[in-house]
Amino acid sequence: MDPLMHNNQQLLNRIGLQHIQAAEQARQRQQFLLALPFMAPALLLVGGLLLLPVLYNIWLSVTHWQLFAGKDDFAGWQNYIQLWSNPYFDDALANTAIWVAASVVFPLLLGLALAMLFRQMPGQEWFKSLIFLPRILAPTALGVMWYYVYAPEGMLNQLLGMLSGTAVQIAWLFEDSLITPAIILAFVWQSCGLVMVLLLLGLAALPRDPLEAARLDGAHPWQVFYHITLPLLSPTILMVVILSVLAGFTVFDLLWVMGSSYPQQRTLSLAVFMYFEAFQKNSWSFAAATAMVIGGVVFAVSCLQTMLQARVDRMVR
Amino acid sequence: MKTLSSLEHQLIATAAIPPAFRWSKALCGLVLTVLWLLPFSFVLLAMFKSTEEYAASAPLSLPSGLSPLLDNVRMAWEQGDMAQSMLNSTLYASIGASLSVLLAAMAAYPLARLRFPRRNVWFLLLFAGTVFPFQMYLIPLFFGFQWADLLDTHLGMCLLYTALCIPFPVLVLRNYMQNLSLEIDQAARLDGASELTVFRRIILPNLRGPMSAVFLLQFTWIWNDMLFSSVLGNRPGTRSIMNALLVFQGSYAQSGPNIMLTAAVLASLPTLLLFVLLRRHFMQGLRV
Amino acid sequence: MKVRHILLTALLGGTLLGPMVMAKEVQLFNDKGFWTGPLQSVAKAAATNGIALKIAPYANAEQYKTFIQASVAAGRTPELFTWWTGATLGDLVATGQLAPLAGLWKEMEADGRFQPGIKDLFSIKGQPYAVPLQLSRWVVLYDQRVFTKLGLKPPKSWSELQTVAARIKAAGHTPFLATTQDGWRGFIWFQELLLRTDPKAYTGLNNGSVAYDSPAVRNVFRIWSDMYAKGWFSDPRSNEEINDFIRGKGVMYLFGEWAVGLLGKAGFPLKELGVFILPNAPGVQQAAIIVEGAPIVVSRKGAADADTMKALRFWVSNQGADTWGKASGNYIGNDKVPAPNTIISQVNAQLAQGHHTLFLRWWESVPATLQGEMVAEFNRFMLKPDMTTAFNVMKRMQNLNTTYWANRKKT
Repeated sequence: MDPLMHNNQQLLNRIGLQHIQAAEQARQRQQFLLALPFMAPALLLVGGLLLLPVLYNIWLSVTHWQLFAGKDDFAGWQNYIQLWSNPYFDDALANTAIWVAASVVFPLLLGLALAMLFRQMPGQEWFKSLIFLPRILAPTALGVMWYYVYAPEGMLNQLLGMLSGTAVQIAWLFEDSLITPAIILAFVWQSCGLVMVLLLLGLAALPRDPLEAARLDGAHPWQVFYHITLPLLSPTILMVVILSVLAGFTVFDLLWVMGSSYPQQRTLSLAVFMYFEAFQKNSWSFAAATAMVIGGVVFAVSCLQTMLQARVDRMVR
Repeated sequence: MKTLSSLEHQLIATAAIPPAFRWSKALCGLVLTVLWLLPFSFVLLAMFKSTEEYAASAPLSLPSGLSPLLDNVRMAWEQGDMAQSMLNSTLYASIGASLSVLLAAMAAYPLARLRFPRRNVWFLLLFAGTVFPFQMYLIPLFFGFQWADLLDTHLGMCLLYTALCIPFPVLVLRNYMQNLSLEIDQAARLDGASELTVFRRIILPNLRGPMSAVFLLQFTWIWNDMLFSSVLGNRPGTRSIMNALLVFQGSYAQSGPNIMLTAAVLASLPTLLLFVLLRRHFMQGLRV
Repeated sequence: MKVRHILLTALLGGTLLGPMVMAKEVQLFNDKGFWTGPLQSVAKAAATNGIALKIAPYANAEQYKTFIQASVAAGRTPELFTWWTGATLGDLVATGQLAPLAGLWKEMEADGRFQPGIKDLFSIKGQPYAVPLQLSRWVVLYDQRVFTKLGLKPPKSWSELQTVAARIKAAGHTPFLATTQDGWRGFIWFQELLLRTDPKAYTGLNNGSVAYDSPAVRNVFRIWSDMYAKGWFSDPRSNEEINDFIRGKGVMYLFGEWAVGLLGKAGFPLKELGVFILPNAPGVQQAAIIVEGAPIVVSRKGAADADTMKALRFWVSNQGADTWGKASGNYIGNDKVPAPNTIISQVNAQLAQGHHTLFLRWWESVPATLQGEMVAEFNRFMLKPDMTTAFNVMKRMQNLNTTYWANRKKT
């Protein structure tokens, strides 16, 4: 409460609470009017180009968009039902689940290991920058690079051939069972740097005293790590997990470039499936329904994050 | 509670670790980094090989000379139509990133410093932009741009990138501004300065650090974008550089992998340069 | 900060004003980015005739299709653009946005420039809606040097084809070149084998009367996988088909005539290139050949515009066709103009002799919404060409087929 009000109880009683509240409301309204011009340009752009499309997408997913005519008849849940009976959708869904799991687990483990490794080490700034480098390069350019690394006469096969002694000609990006792991490897290589940096930032912000106390008590480094560092790091880890889930759902550029020779490219993930539906088959409402499915899950995860983050923050404190 | 300085922390920490362990860590790190950069080495080698040389040699074999590089660069540049796309991407990234960071700062200012009802709702409205995956924007934006005649226009692409790049800076700058001390603008307001003046003269100069960090991140994001450009600005006149790279890779042109890889490197040079020069700012921008 | 603001405003203003300065010109929208050079030559020639033709290419067929379809749906059909014949032309015509070109075709046939049969390829229900961008027959191009070395002659019958292939294989070369490059080529051998073994099934496949797992199709896959088992095909995973042919990875190359131009540009000595039409399987009498007709269509607004029609007339004129043929090696059906290359004149001669029936490619005949998924299945087979994959592929394709035709009956 405003300190002014505390010290003037008699004033309150004499003037009456309503006046004070009215004045407060008027002040807040004035502040709002002041705030509006500052927020307006951003709100207009975001509202018009980001929020409105989402609403349109919701509407589109329950219509029946004809190929050329552009007519729309209300189709209710038909698009969503059709989605589930599409043979490619199941594969895309399964692959997306694999992607989300892989994009959470591997970068986190590897990033954590790298963060712990690079913590007190000569030349750590250099190493950190080099590991982080792939993150700032375009997935498209990196996809092109990895495409030729994975080519039948490419670098990976050459290395494997040198190690095993026999010529290796595996077509990594053509085989059903190999393509998703291969692209996941490229993805982990790219995104690990960011996870590592975020974890390092988190580690640097940890309070020192619990760690020092434990070490002075003679605790084994592993115990210190497991019982003290990790729990204290959980807000950062949670943020990393959420970011990774979002990234796993929406990975596109890598799949688009590296999966270009794979016949069943549309099954590589829901995102690619949606793109094919929209822009190759022009089944707009179908694609909109797919987008809703993706958006819905991502939105739910983000909401979960906000709730969990608040709870974890309170716990740590 | 007295806390130790970071230097003292480091000293304690390093003193607790035996030197042999530290150097074995370094060795580990070295090996790891070499493995990490192996794909890049392959690209570097390929850039110096001519098409026939590439087809005839093993990927990690050393090139026979340095001369094919210029040819590769020239062919990648011409066949990939990189001049126009580089120009486009520079335009989009500089306008998009700077405008969005500026607008985000403007929008974050009242969210952090002024008090009005349902502040968080307004914030969420702005931040909701990052929550939805791009799939939800693509089709509606395509139809919307078509209706408004913004498809394949520089204006349309700039507007799009600006809008896409507003939400994240709003979050970062709002958090940063919340931590700035309140006295500085109170004093100015009591002197009778308008909100605009307070914003321009007092808050903005303090935001230089996070604003440049976020600008860098958004610049890189726009530069790296391929999808929005290929849906909403696919004509050669408005293509972004990554879109041009994609088109180059998917075209019927008779180029070899060496030229494709050279093109990928050329397309990535600006971001690479930015990173080398402004490394600290990139990392700083991640402190949300 | 201030300087930056000024610069920004200037930049923004510049981009806003830029596009406003334009001239009246006819834009030809197309997705043939690889033909931009030759198209520009035609545009240059058109300029000398007072026509301002601007070539507007999209390099990605999907994006291009989307752009056109969305424009049509919004009522803003481009005035002049390339498209595909067959079912998808039918869809476009059904929107009512294309202008019929019967008058123009009367002119084109009157002076003997275009033979009567060609108009049908570009017509829907008897009415022509397009002129040819290129007319390609799908033939087998082969390296004459290998044939001469092995003392082989182009096969005139199915059994001769088998002998030739076996002899080439025995000599250490790979008989046929076929890849899945760019994701669309999977149907090439399928359509050819189906036409050679069962022409009726070929037509029936795309009107819903023949199933994708019918005996005719099963037969095709059996022959196809057999050829793969004998090692008669090159590695399908390559991404450089044209270069592969030049490097000798396959002696015979089943493709459209437009490959000749690409081969020449990539450095193949064109006088060593021979051509023959794949012979029919025993028991099939009908002389047939698969034709690809890429059309240029005009919107109603474009047909009413004098400049657009002038540009179109120039395209089919002798000068236009000749410039195009010389620059790209493409034939558009204009017989008053010298054939762009010897391959085309050879094929013309063979067709004149055999009176082959012209069949449209599977790519154009298949319903547009099925095309992408079906060709992906063909590609899948090529990457693992055994009968188990074939059965799986056929089952999937028939699933898609039945769903499509069932839905069509509803709407």
